Amino acid sequence: MSLPKKLQEIVDDFASLSREEKIETLIAYAESLPPLPERFAEERSKMEPIPECMTPVFLFGEKQTDGGIIFHFDIPPQSPTVQGLACILATGLNGCKPEEILAIPADFYLPMNLQEAITQQRINGFMGVLAHMKQAAVNLMEK
Amino acid sequence: MPYSHPEYLVDTEWVANHLTDPTIRIIESDEDPLLYPMGHIQGAVQVDWFSTLQHPLRRDFVTKEQFEEICSKLGITNNMIVVFYGDKSNWFACYALWLFQYYGHTNVKIMDGGRIKWEQEKRPLVKEVPSYVRSTYRAKEADKSIRAFRDEVLKHSNAKKPLVDVRSLKEFTGEMLHMPNYPQEGATRGGHIPGAVSIPWSQAMNEADATFKTPEELAALYKGKNIKADGEVIAYCRIGERSSLTWFVLKYLLGYPNVKNYDGSWTEWGNLVDAPIEK
Repeated sequence: MSLPKKLQEIVDDFASLSREEKIETLIAYAESLPPLPERFAEERSKMEPIPECMTPVFLFGEKQTDGGIIFHFDIPPQSPTVQGLACILATGLNGCKPEEILAIPADFYLPMNLQEAITQQRINGFMGVLAHMKQAAVNLMEK
Repeated sequence: MPYSHPEYLVDTEWVANHLTDPTIRIIESDEDPLLYPMGHIQGAVQVDWFSTLQHPLRRDFVTKEQFEEICSKLGITNNMIVVFYGDKSNWFACYALWLFQYYGHTNVKIMDGGRIKWEQEKRPLVKEVPSYVRSTYRAKEADKSIRAFRDEVLKHSNAKKPLVDVRSLKEFTGEMLHMPNYPQEGATRGGHIPGAVSIPWSQAMNEADATFKTPEELAALYKGKNIKADGEVIAYCRIGERSSLTWFVLKYLLGYPNVKNYDGSWTEWGNLVDAPIEK
């Protein structure tokens, strides 16, 4: 099954980039991740604080009237790689229907050759964010 | 009571006053590799724990020759003072410092507080990547007295010598295979090496500004858990980065003469067939 058009474009772009260009592109994504909208502040404050100095990723899915989902993130600026990867997923998947999000294969990122720029540990984190987005999609389907 | 080897630590003010000192090379080493290109201390070069310091094929560090090439390219000479700083309370700065020590570069320092404190003090960061004239660096043979391998760790554990597990408590008890909120990958078994005591690395740090605790606080922390200067101590974590920080504290801030970092750590031990595990 094919990926959503926007996500496919991002995957194709990354595949053709050099290591330096991948890093520049990840920075551009990190810098374009919008701050968490104020309306989520209350929900955010109810979430569990993360111990030690990890990268706490907070993710919110919002169902639109057409059934598509928009994702919002709160990730500290000290972790730009995580911000950049989350922004790629948000850019690639925003507006998709829950069924489309659930159908994203876990290895969709392989052609991006991310391991040239970041460690496997980071890539696994990337997949962790996708897993959370899928969970959010499931929760919104039930609403 | 001062730190045992205070010359291994400098503060942010000292670094700010030595930015253009030709006898000093400042190295940024982070967990997040994007931080350096987004902004770093003027004149600092980047050494990434993975893409720079790991062997391209084997699970090991770069060879002596590869290390010489890295230093030569960064214009580091054998008599230069190398100052390390980084994100996340200087985990990877300590890791890089440990590897420099391993290849015989002993004139090294940590900038106390790392990026966190530098940013808190609103000190400038620049994007310009400096270029230095290539040097001819000569490394020494690897100093195995600061690095522990698995067979030695097993003997150490069997002999009930002091082992410090610096991971979070849930990793120590085997409830988790990685730090909370990180992907739980890397080991097929959870728990700790028999006989290890749990002293999470973060207990050595001031949470507010990522600086090291006072000598008195550090001495009380480790002696209180029966980790004493007269023993041979081995520290480990998951991949050896957090335990480099504890190694630095024990070796230089408290002056323990015989401390090793087991860089194989839990991602090796928790996968090793026949290795004893306690929960």
